Amino acid sequence: MATANPAFDQLMRNGELIESPNEMTPEYKKELRHTLTVSGDTELISAPAYYLAAQRAPSINAFMTGVAIIQDELAHAHIAYHILEELGEDQEKLIFSRDPKSFRYPYAFDVPLETWTELIVANLFYDQAGFCLLGDIHAECSYGPWKRGLNKVMAEENFHLRNGRTWAKRMAAAGGEARANLQRAVDWMFPLTVEWFGLPDALKMHSTQLDFRLKGKTNDQLRQWWLSLVVPYCEEIGIRVPAHREESDGQVTYVLDYPFPCTFDAELKRWDLNDPCSWDDVMQRWRARGPRNAEMVGALQEEFHKFRQAHPR
Amino acid sequence: MQFKRVHDDVRAYEVFARKLRQEPLRQIGSVVAPDDDLAAAYARATYDEERWIELAVVPREAINTLWAPGEEASA
Repeated sequence: MATANPAFDQLMRNGELIESPNEMTPEYKKELRHTLTVSGDTELISAPAYYLAAQRAPSINAFMTGVAIIQDELAHAHIAYHILEELGEDQEKLIFSRDPKSFRYPYAFDVPLETWTELIVANLFYDQAGFCLLGDIHAECSYGPWKRGLNKVMAEENFHLRNGRTWAKRMAAAGGEARANLQRAVDWMFPLTVEWFGLPDALKMHSTQLDFRLKGKTNDQLRQWWLSLVVPYCEEIGIRVPAHREESDGQVTYVLDYPFPCTFDAELKRWDLNDPCSWDDVMQRWRARGPRNAEMVGALQEEFHKFRQAHPR
Repeated sequence: MQFKRVHDDVRAYEVFARKLRQEPLRQIGSVVAPDDDLAAAYARATYDEERWIELAVVPREAINTLWAPGEEASA
């Protein structure tokens, strides 16, 4: 894909890293900013999303793990926002003055995580999704400062996953109420994470992010990667998920056992797996945002504005 | 570049670290802070992913860049 900038084209063609805003075309910079905003917003909002559930931790140790994870997520948000700031964005405006609806994080975080079990499934599914998406960017990203910044992020996401897997295994083995709660959380959180990876490739005509090597894998490839990690693990610990493995001509694919996409009731945290819908319906639900959007962003912004009122510039 | 924080006057610090005696010190990120002490505190809290054997913060303006990718040579 040639642009009007031969030096930029050459860096892209050679698989080189872009290191300075001076080397970017306006289109590249725009796409990079957008991708970084999604990443920063996702990390930032995971903090209040996880904190609600962390408060329900069954022990002080478990709580400490919960808040350590939250602290990691805030540091990851800092990395993305700070890179944006180096590209000329006003970080303060970005975080504290944007309309809640214009935050660009996955819809899943808008649905309240209300129990320790739901936090564990978030570590198991959401952090696994984050690991796949950011791992892909870490491996492929053409912007040097972000690629290097992600070293830290990848190391820490591993720890979140381990927390999810260890606890889920323990809960599944415990049986009874613990196991039933785990299964219930998996039932609504699995399809929500499948959706996280966005439009299927067949419906997505073109990806500028792929052209600019801001990511390496397509939506469907990322979704398959996630399924290939999550489905076998759930089966291993004896938790049901609505997907199965298929193999033909040596090619392994994970196939969903329900119509994708389908209808979700956020208040009841319930999918109607018998009610398929269109991607337009999904986009509409995403754009309207979910139950916690205004509250979580509001909580982050409120203290800042109080502080500013008390300490005018 | 001007950064905006709750403190009125802040500057960027580059963060350097290494894990092993055998490896060179390298830049791992940066922080924005109003003074050296807070820069050290932010670096310690933000870049805590490894057990570094060395961690240092340097005010960005103290670095005299001779040349860099995408930048004009200045010396």
